[in-house]
Amino acid sequence: MLSDPQSVTQPASTLECPINGQGLKILIQSGLMWLRTNQQIVNSLNVFPVPDGDTGTNMVLTMQAAYDEIADSAEYNLGKMAHAAAHGALMGARGNSGVILSQLWRGFARALDHQAVLDANSLVQALATGRDTAYKGVVRPVEGTILTVAKDSAAAAEQALANSDDPGVILEHIVAAADQSVQRTPDLLPVLKEAGVVDSGGMGLFFIFEGMLRYLNGLPLDSALAAVRPLAYMNLENALETIEPGQDFEVVIDFRPYKTMDLVGFYDDLEKIGTSIQVGEGDGIYRLHIHVADEKRYQPIDYAMTLGTVTKVAMENLVAQMADQGGKCSDGKVNVASIEPGQIAVVAVAPGMGIARVFGSLGVAAVVEGGQTMNPSTQEIIHAFENLPTDKIIILPNNKNITLTAKVAAGLTVKKVAVVPSYSIPQGLAAMLRLVPAGDFDKVVQEMTEALEDVETGEITTATRTVEIDGVEVQEGQVIALHNGKLLLASTNLQEACLGLLEKAHADHFELITLFYGLSVSKNEAFRIADEIRKAFPEQEVEVQEGCQPHYQFIIAIE
Amino acid sequence: MDIAIVTDSTSDIPADLAERYSIHIVPNILVLNGQSLEDGKGISREEFYNLMPNMKSLPTTATASPGDYMWLYEKLLREGARYVLSVHASSMLSGIINAASAAAEAYGDQVRVFDSASVTLGLGFQVLMAAEAAVRGAAIDPLLTLLNDLRKRARVFAMLDTLEYVRRSGRVSWARARLGNLLHIKPFVELREGIVYSLGETRTRRKGVEYLKKLLFDQGPLERLAILHTNAEADARRFLEEIEVNLPTPPLVVNVTTIIGTHVGPNGLGFAAVVK
Repeated sequence: MLSDPQSVTQPASTLECPINGQGLKILIQSGLMWLRTNQQIVNSLNVFPVPDGDTGTNMVLTMQAAYDEIADSAEYNLGKMAHAAAHGALMGARGNSGVILSQLWRGFARALDHQAVLDANSLVQALATGRDTAYKGVVRPVEGTILTVAKDSAAAAEQALANSDDPGVILEHIVAAADQSVQRTPDLLPVLKEAGVVDSGGMGLFFIFEGMLRYLNGLPLDSALAAVRPLAYMNLENALETIEPGQDFEVVIDFRPYKTMDLVGFYDDLEKIGTSIQVGEGDGIYRLHIHVADEKRYQPIDYAMTLGTVTKVAMENLVAQMADQGGKCSDGKVNVASIEPGQIAVVAVAPGMGIARVFGSLGVAAVVEGGQTMNPSTQEIIHAFENLPTDKIIILPNNKNITLTAKVAAGLTVKKVAVVPSYSIPQGLAAMLRLVPAGDFDKVVQEMTEALEDVETGEITTATRTVEIDGVEVQEGQVIALHNGKLLLASTNLQEACLGLLEKAHADHFELITLFYGLSVSKNEAFRIADEIRKAFPEQEVEVQEGCQPHYQFIIAIE
Repeated sequence: MDIAIVTDSTSDIPADLAERYSIHIVPNILVLNGQSLEDGKGISREEFYNLMPNMKSLPTTATASPGDYMWLYEKLLREGARYVLSVHASSMLSGIINAASAAAEAYGDQVRVFDSASVTLGLGFQVLMAAEAAVRGAAIDPLLTLLNDLRKRARVFAMLDTLEYVRRSGRVSWARARLGNLLHIKPFVELREGIVYSLGETRTRRKGVEYLKKLLFDQGPLERLAILHTNAEADARRFLEEIEVNLPTPPLVVNVTTIIGTHVGPNGLGFAAVVK
């Protein structure tokens, strides 16, 4: 039966010296308590190997199992107590960090086999054996993790031995080294650096050591020291995406505190005012970010003024921003894929930010702006080729009129470039779905070219002159619908044009209709028309995307 | 038996086959709403996948402890096994093998831990075929040679119904990078040498099923086949009918364990095979 964590009581107030089995028990209990107090901090750092936010919990469960094994033990022998704790950790180890932690304990106990009490020498030896056992137990050791922190702590303990034979002093060195080692983990493990965090398992080990030291120093183990992120790590970009109902304003305040901040009280107060709280610190300036309800929009400023000198205030009405954005494209940059040398990179020509973002999300490595009546120059395309760190490139022109420019550009670079002749945005997107960056170039080009046929293209635009084409009479200013480049119908009404197009294109034989709405269509209007389409085509899925393209009210993919 | 065979529950070996070949399966752990459940207990696969789209927070998964493995190894050796062969999920995807290796350390040569570099029946078939050989009397070293060969011939392909779960689970780096603007995306994945690769996407299920067939036929002649799904049994059965394969060992149809399903989401369809 698996048990979930119970609480531990505060360890006994006295520790016998030298440290015997009972002393070790108290230290383990202290490490567990301090780790548990900081469990959520460790969870929040968890991005490696899997960002599922359970490293802290898993390490607590493992330490709890170690402690449960010895909680009622009256054993005075240090070695026997260490073995019992290690056994408990081994049986109860949870998750990868827990398994490694159990190996650290196992090695630790092994080195203390014949020790009745802890001395400086045996502590150093035990840490070294713990490190070796943990490294051996992991099939693929990775640096920048709990393993590195264990290694650096063991090394610091060994160095400290030259100057002291007091286990307490050595523990101080261990804690300091673990702290520094944790801070260095992002330099060793790129995924941590990208996420702007230190390693969670390493941090957990640090808290275990620090809990032991805090006990020796008589410091409390049950209240966390609130952590503040460096200013550079504050992620305010996506604030719009995380708007909660009733939280209408985003307020960002910089202030210079009058005195040392009581962070726990600070967070408590902020939680009473609003949500999405983020606090950063740098160069003595605190930056506070919060979402608040309409009527509370000045409260954070008044509050910050009680704490220090307010240097800057920024306020945004989130609701107004979220509302009708017709005529302009919502903010947000295009995230393109990073390509490694030797991989296949795709360059896509896109007529609007929204469409560019969708191409980016599908793994395009570069976007060249262009489309109907705004053909990119050969130079712009070559420039995009040359800037990529690979020499295997595929270009998607996404417009019939740009195919030739793309072919010319392909002939003017020394890199290997293939043109997959997509005539429309939906075709380009369909081709993107077949991209395998590490695949065989010719095979990928072939698959992407075949995929062009996987989708039907609808385009809704406004006629610029009065004309008759393909038997369809069009008045200047009317809304017209094209199906795979061919004029289908003209109408005075946008919704009718969309529905007429879908009907004539036999959309009811397909599964999915995706609407990319252009700059001249508001989000509300796009969603309203999508609802009408859903009524007319109840069997089909209808998806709406912001395209931000000029000239075309809608670009429609039918597949 | 001379050699006891151990694996973990990500192998997806059906219970009747595990029993027939005396395969010992260590359950992994599903943490659902703060509750730790042994794989297969407390919630059925069907229930789990039905509930999944409405779960507020995603479940997490964890390996059994080294202690659980130790307990089993100890028992098997005590009951007379000369060797234990413990075959597990890819070390590139899970820490399961670390727990097994940590436990095996105490037994020296007697417990051999093998990284299958696969999961679900990609792992399961390796275990099954090794167990069949063990029943026929194969010794430990030839068994390890066999596994080394099977590992190279095991294939797993799948069409996920959405990128969402695999992205959120974070086990696959390319999925993490994609902030998936398009809602309807059915990613294709291949598990090769322990790593999950992207094989592109389709936007509709119908095209996806066709692509999956093409992938299957591209593998050439097969020795074993399992159609895998996460609560899409009807689709899996239809797929099996439509591909019209004829194998000496009848293909399996398996609703994949929640331990893997947590990371791929419901309504996925795929296959595991051992190629000739």
